[in-house]
Amino acid sequence: MPLYGIPAKDYLDREDELAYLKRLASLRRDTLADNVLLIGPRGIGKTEFLKQLYRSLFWDSKDVVPFYYSFKTAALKSTTFARDYFARFVKQYVAFVKKEPLHVNNMSMPLPRLIPLISTLGLDWLIDCIDDFQQNTDQGDLYGQILSAISTPVNAAVRGGRPVLVMLDDFTASEELHETKRGDAPGLTSLFEESMKNSLCPHIITGSPSAKLEAIFSDPALHKGTERMRLYPLPEDTAYALFSSLLAKMKISFDREAALDIIRRVKGSPLYIRNMARAAWKMKKNNLDKKDFSECYSFEIIDGETAFYWSSVFSESLRDKGIRRTILELLMHRIARGETGDQERLSKVLGVREPRLSEALDALELNDFGGSDDPLLKDFVQSLYFREVEGKTGAEIRKLIEAKYDVPADSSVFEMVIPMSDQAELVAARAVDQIGKNINLEPELMNYLQLALVESCINAMEHSGSYEKKIYLKFTTTPQRLEIAIESPGRHFTLDSLKESPTEEKMTAGQKRGWGFTLMRKIMDEVRVERISDRTRVTLIKNIKRNEVLK
Amino acid sequence: MNAAPFQVKSRIVNDVAVIYPKGYLNNLSGEGLVSECGRYIETGIKKIIVNFSETDLINSIGISLLLHVMEELQTTGGTLCFTDMDKVQLGIFDMLGLTKYFRFFQDEKGALQFLGGSAE
Repeated sequence: MPLYGIPAKDYLDREDELAYLKRLASLRRDTLADNVLLIGPRGIGKTEFLKQLYRSLFWDSKDVVPFYYSFKTAALKSTTFARDYFARFVKQYVAFVKKEPLHVNNMSMPLPRLIPLISTLGLDWLIDCIDDFQQNTDQGDLYGQILSAISTPVNAAVRGGRPVLVMLDDFTASEELHETKRGDAPGLTSLFEESMKNSLCPHIITGSPSAKLEAIFSDPALHKGTERMRLYPLPEDTAYALFSSLLAKMKISFDREAALDIIRRVKGSPLYIRNMARAAWKMKKNNLDKKDFSECYSFEIIDGETAFYWSSVFSESLRDKGIRRTILELLMHRIARGETGDQERLSKVLGVREPRLSEALDALELNDFGGSDDPLLKDFVQSLYFREVEGKTGAEIRKLIEAKYDVPADSSVFEMVIPMSDQAELVAARAVDQIGKNINLEPELMNYLQLALVESCINAMEHSGSYEKKIYLKFTTTPQRLEIAIESPGRHFTLDSLKESPTEEKMTAGQKRGWGFTLMRKIMDEVRVERISDRTRVTLIKNIKRNEVLK
Repeated sequence: MNAAPFQVKSRIVNDVAVIYPKGYLNNLSGEGLVSECGRYIETGIKKIIVNFSETDLINSIGISLLLHVMEELQTTGGTLCFTDMDKVQLGIFDMLGLTKYFRFFQDEKGALQFLGGSAE
């Protein structure tokens, strides 16, 4: 419903774009502007932006009639769509003229009951439109009915003497308009072409994924006469102002630095900022510190509005359950590696046949999932993967997500990737050397730590069997602790699978190998082995004692 | 730890072979050490000293290869001695419970005296 949304005073940082679009009708009439394709990633606030524009025109404008239509909730059977589109337009037009919001949202009232009111408002031409539309319906003329509905805003602009600003939200769904079943009438979207050409009736079109929207508008007929407007994430100060005002309304106080951490993590997405504020309220937090924010975040990823939002998008976009698993594996691979790799290699790495992989890659591209740098989406994908592919429980996933961001304030984090090649482990060992020097570690301890890391790298090289010959290392240090995560793709292993025989046994047996984990455990305070998607992660932890630091 | 490229040198002091592994003792370089020792064992040498003064790092594979040398030498009734190990290298053998299986000396001279070869 276009009149429901965030109060205008709380709507931040889109003033310039709003001001431009409020003037779009007059600029278009003077051929100074085109139709506008509103582009932006999911969650950036395209729908809310249109609602703000609608509301502003509805209350403040006398000359430009706003019409908002969302295909998301529309019935996409063409005849039902035509009736719905037409009825909504008539009601929104009447509501605008009378400045009576009730009519905008009252979809249950049949159009004939509005006729007396329309007549009173002097909109007799609108009654003619209703009659014409009814006539097409009665004749069972499918295309006549759709065209009649789609061209009503243009007719209204011409006959009513006031330009109509048409806002089409979730326009990507219009590709699914059909006669009786999905796919039986491709190309119905092109019926909007004529309406879009009319200078009295500028259109603002938006939807997700952007790639799909752009693909629709690659048709030269639609492409011509359409300009692009991109919505960007909120800058940090605006995002903070939004977050703090939402929390203040819920009477929740918070630690400023922790709030800023979250804002940076969600990269200024208004959707996520709102969801985080709601999560805090749902979790009955009243004084948010860093730990609370972390809990709210993992709640959002696993059970909150964000999880619900992305679950819906995934279900909607990836209806084929078979391909869903492949896509999850692909996404996890991309998140872990930050690379795409060629198809042949990916097929080997993931163990997926090329035709299926190709199908999955196409679906990824089309749905804008592939190249996304949205951290919440990445965490959601990980959580979905953990749940659906690895069968982890909610509690286990929550722990993993919270641990991912649980970095002490006085810590330093270094990451490196080494190849699985001869003596590459020494490069990692040199890194430990320097990291140890940075925190004044006693040289003898440093040598032991180097050996533990060398052993872990050798172990990764020997057990991986992966096509991807790389080891991923992450060093996290604080003055009290050194943690080294060593991740290797390929074959998984556990501490049990690497059970090392006692020294006495080795002395009499032919096989003398298998000391690596014994050494790691002797040197480190904690050694963990976990399966993280298609990698095995070994975590080496050393708690640094006072006497292990140089004065 | 400053691992140099591995090299192994050796010399004979009377009936004792003294081996000097240099650099990082791992699987590749360990094979070189094993083969150097094997060469002496084949000629009838039964006393071997491995001098670690120039060895930077011994990984677990290197250790397992040293065990092979010891095993090979034991079949001929020979003796293997380790010298000039730093604190960490000794610590590693200790962690793995291996100290009782080898003879450790602070320096080559002590090992040669023990084996009856004259220290130079």
